[in-house]
Amino acid sequence: MSNGFTLPIRVVEADGLSAWLVEDHTVPVVSISWSWAGGAARDAAGQEGTAAMAAALLTEGAGELRALAFADALRDAAIGLNFSAGRDAFEGGFRCLTDALPEALRLARLAMTAPRFDADAVERVRARAIAGARQALETPRGQAGRAFWASAFPGHPAGRPATGTAESLAAVPVEAMRATLAAQMRRDGLLIAASGAIRPAELAALLPALFGGLPAGAPEAPPTLPPFTAFGRQVVLVASPQSQVVLGQPGIAPNDPDWEAAQVVLRILGGGGFSSRLMEAVRVQRGLTYGIGVGLETMFGGGVVTCAFATENAKVAEALQVTRGVWSDLAQHGPTQAELEEAVAYLTGSLPLQFTDSRRIAGTLLAMRRNRRALDWLDGRNARLRAITRDGAARVASAILKPQDLAVTVAGQPEGM
Amino acid sequence: MMTRRTTIAAAAALAAAAPAARAQAQAAASGPAERPLFGAAQWRLANGLEVVFVENRRAPVVAQYLFYAAGGAEDPAGRSGVAHFLEHMMFKGSPNVPSGELSRRVAREGGNDNAFTSRDVTAYYQQVEASRLPMIMAMEADRFAAALIPADQLESERRVVLEERRQRTDSSARARFQEAFRAALWGPQTWPGRPIIGWEDEIRAITRDDITGFHARFYAPANATLVVAGAVAEAELRALAEEHYGKVPPRAAATRDRARAPEAPHEPRLIRREPTAREALFLRAWMAPSLTAGETRHALPLEALAHLLGGGQGSRLHAALVETGLAVSAGAGYDGEAAGETEFTIWAVPRRGVTPERLEQEAAAVVARLLQDGPTEEEVARSTRQLSAGALLSLDSFGAAPRMLGGVLAIGLPAEVVEFWPARLRAVTRPQVAAAARAVLGRDADTVGWLLPEAA
Repeated sequence: MSNGFTLPIRVVEADGLSAWLVEDHTVPVVSISWSWAGGAARDAAGQEGTAAMAAALLTEGAGELRALAFADALRDAAIGLNFSAGRDAFEGGFRCLTDALPEALRLARLAMTAPRFDADAVERVRARAIAGARQALETPRGQAGRAFWASAFPGHPAGRPATGTAESLAAVPVEAMRATLAAQMRRDGLLIAASGAIRPAELAALLPALFGGLPAGAPEAPPTLPPFTAFGRQVVLVASPQSQVVLGQPGIAPNDPDWEAAQVVLRILGGGGFSSRLMEAVRVQRGLTYGIGVGLETMFGGGVVTCAFATENAKVAEALQVTRGVWSDLAQHGPTQAELEEAVAYLTGSLPLQFTDSRRIAGTLLAMRRNRRALDWLDGRNARLRAITRDGAARVASAILKPQDLAVTVAGQPEGM
Repeated sequence: MMTRRTTIAAAAALAAAAPAARAQAQAAASGPAERPLFGAAQWRLANGLEVVFVENRRAPVVAQYLFYAAGGAEDPAGRSGVAHFLEHMMFKGSPNVPSGELSRRVAREGGNDNAFTSRDVTAYYQQVEASRLPMIMAMEADRFAAALIPADQLESERRVVLEERRQRTDSSARARFQEAFRAALWGPQTWPGRPIIGWEDEIRAITRDDITGFHARFYAPANATLVVAGAVAEAELRALAEEHYGKVPPRAAATRDRARAPEAPHEPRLIRREPTAREALFLRAWMAPSLTAGETRHALPLEALAHLLGGGQGSRLHAALVETGLAVSAGAGYDGEAAGETEFTIWAVPRRGVTPERLEQEAAAVVARLLQDGPTEEEVARSTRQLSAGALLSLDSFGAAPRMLGGVLAIGLPAEVVEFWPARLRAVTRPQVAAAARAVLGRDADTVGWLLPEAA
């Protein structure tokens, strides 16, 4: 089971900047990803979507290049350069062929240091964002997600849509976009990851060229995650033959000593694939849904366990009852030895598949850095997973899973609720 | 494309295959021209099964994709959804693998597996640590030869498929409109006009005989392509393919037997008002040739045409509709890698306050100007350059090689279509694009569709 698979991560430092690198010259491609703390968390109330719009505008013209010239420069060289604002982080990154690396560097630097914010580009991006925000609410899925987070974290950035609403996007002034970029795109506090056909010395030379023009001083840390509000049950009426259901409860933080045991427990409960208890009970046995999955979302230094599925309106009550039953049973009795072994076998054996493309590798490295993992965290991971006993997993299942506190959002026209 | 698993799970599973070190070395050494993109090897087993191999040592993993040359368009009349329903039932066991066990065993080895059904093909795939290749080949060959399709699991799986339909289509005004639009263009009971997942009443009517009949008819070795990419030696793969797939008995190869595609649109105009839609959508699609049907010489020029007409910033639709403030976004789409006729589509999301009439007129004017004057040399050069500039990036994706190669072989095209596409696309000329535009956009064979928020 790929026991021998290791990932040689190098730390490359230059001018106070540091990057994690997985070097791989089999393909002439380089991916670099970076992030700052903050993202949409800094958006003013009523101006949600400020950072997201600012991120989109970074590639809509910079320096002497207006939007079209900038887009053509990227596309002529097949450079994928992107910026985005998540709930608690602002991210940038590019992937390119090695031949195009100097051009990618030039354009990425230009985007970060001299974005134009031409009025026509601002209005075009704003119109697109507003239409996207409206479209996101057309489906039960979009409505359920919005309502769930708003109720779980009222008044906190975790409860707001990072991409904004039609109303908030219309209200964002350009000065606010510039201000949020100035406040978070800094040299300090920058996390960088790279993968692909680039040598450490080349990366070391690239870092100051890419980020040297940014102002010093780390961005202000975003607020921590407040306690999860167990809001009970809410129904959002949406005209649809099927309801989207989102369930949630408090999760654990990435630095929790039980992190890996929790990964095992949640995989058994509702992890990817067909072997989870929820998939078996809700889909395979009863045909109540196309898919049901459980995830541990981390944000603002904390974690939230969520579960989502869609089912015919008439079946919502039944599917919810089955789901709660599975949740309770695992909390009460823990997994079987066989379930534990299967989950550990998957989590240990699947590591090589995480490292088959450069963007994914850079993304994984960046996530490790954001979660403050040690450089050798992956090396010890398999041994830590294999050390988990059934009783240990049962203890963690009992500690984490809170079937009685599950908050439930249903969007659709559910019957019998 | 329909998959057996939810979108979320599928996205996670779609890590996909790494490309051949051989092809990469060639490509890097020689520049972009004239070298095969993946450098795939190809051979055929005695029972007719086509095998394609792309060696790739980037990570100690391997991907197996088995493509069948049959998709939703092969569904029997009045029974849309059979190909996709069969795809679900293929996971319900075979002589040596109990129901659900294939996925469970793959997961136990740290791997991923899934399947998808498109209009033209059905494909099953797994990605595992390289030493597990014999295990996944044995299981895939087992259900190839004799899927059980157990009657007692048909009804619960039918409920799953109906939930899948509700999730993908019925709960979204936009998806319902796009389904109806395709039916308006081609006809709701034609092979290009039916939804792959099937009309709801027809999904309900599908019998076990429909499903086993489809398997017997189309899942024959001579109708399938096995693509393996990853960290394995060719000699080893040749032996493994013979050992596992050589045993699948040859059967009469049932080739596609589709009726002729309609030559005129079923409905030239479709207006849908939907209370849950919050933004309008304009679609206009023309019936078009592909690399396999009609005037195939137009296929590559049509790819360039789609880019210069609606490939984002710098395209004609973007300039005429988005930069002028009439539309939020606008574009064009065409994919020539299809079995049989296909479509060339333009679309736009109007800004609020812009009337559908105005937007539609402006879009028509863009098309008329293009037909009258043709594209410029600069436009064609820019499009072919930008479309092909990133060709080598597909070497950075684990699944790209098997998906691209299996996709063309399963529609009867040679691997060269994939291996040499960048050079072929770069060779497209201005007169070719002008001729393709006249042949497709100049024909009166199109449907216009509007999705309108009910309030609009």
